Amino acid sequence: MAHSGAQKILSEVTGVTAVVVATVDGFDVASAIRGNTNASRIAALASSIAAISTVVSDETELGLSKSVIIDTESGFAVVYSVRRTDAELVINVIANSSAILGQVAYHTSQFARLLSAA
Amino acid sequence: MNEYKILFTGTMGAGKTTAINALSDTATVNTDVHNSDTSVDKERTTVGLDFGQFTLDNGDRIRLFGTPGQARFDFLWKILSKGSLGLIILADNSRPDPLADICVFLEGFSDELNTLPCTIGVGRLDTHPNPSLDDYADLLADKNLIFPIIGVDVRRKDDVILLVDTLLAQLEANMSGVQD
Repeated sequence: MAHSGAQKILSEVTGVTAVVVATVDGFDVASAIRGNTNASRIAALASSIAAISTVVSDETELGLSKSVIIDTESGFAVVYSVRRTDAELVINVIANSSAILGQVAYHTSQFARLLSAA
Repeated sequence: MNEYKILFTGTMGAGKTTAINALSDTATVNTDVHNSDTSVDKERTTVGLDFGQFTLDNGDRIRLFGTPGQARFDFLWKILSKGSLGLIILADNSRPDPLADICVFLEGFSDELNTLPCTIGVGRLDTHPNPSLDDYADLLADKNLIFPIIGVDVRRKDDVILLVDTLLAQLEANMSGVQD
């Protein structure tokens, strides 16, 4: 389901170039990639970012961190945390400048909800 | 009052997070998560960084940063080493090939080690005496490096202080480990 969900976002959401689902300690479990992006590097990066964002939300007493958005010159990346009863996962979606942040965020959060309930 | 940044690195399970937790005066920042790698018998693993602070008797403050140990997080090694005044590399002598483990970090931080002092702390020597501290020294000598190598138990605060004191002594003496 993680594979098909990742593939769905890649093919249906404009501007998405990579979707990587990772374990919370940085191993990739499913991915859909367009181009040369290295899924295992992205998995490690996403898990670091998710963990560091947890530090921020803990320090600021804002509750659990749900997502992080990295806004860059020519696109963006969104990192979503998925908390299941048996495991924690991290979804990373990378998009170029033709993507719309709200759209990517919406689809990714839907995917996150699906993975947390499955 | 001086402030120093010291980076702790080394293989998974060598004790970086433990060392920083043992030494820090303040609550530490940890990014430990569930370890899903079944080849290593460890429940949690660092995936971001560790951070702690320690104040010396003379009022100088040390900021302690720890890296994740696994090579897949090596992008963080460069980021975390920025602004460091020295490196402490921890080794776990109970692993199958601790000398190979140390090589990973000597290579991974080779740029930094050209200019920064480094102290090596070897853990679990009492139960796993091989390789010996001399073996570590020989390995470093082959790479034209000379660093202090000390047997430690990083659960003991005094052992971690010894590593930090050794590093600071190198800093004061303006020593880096590269032999010309």
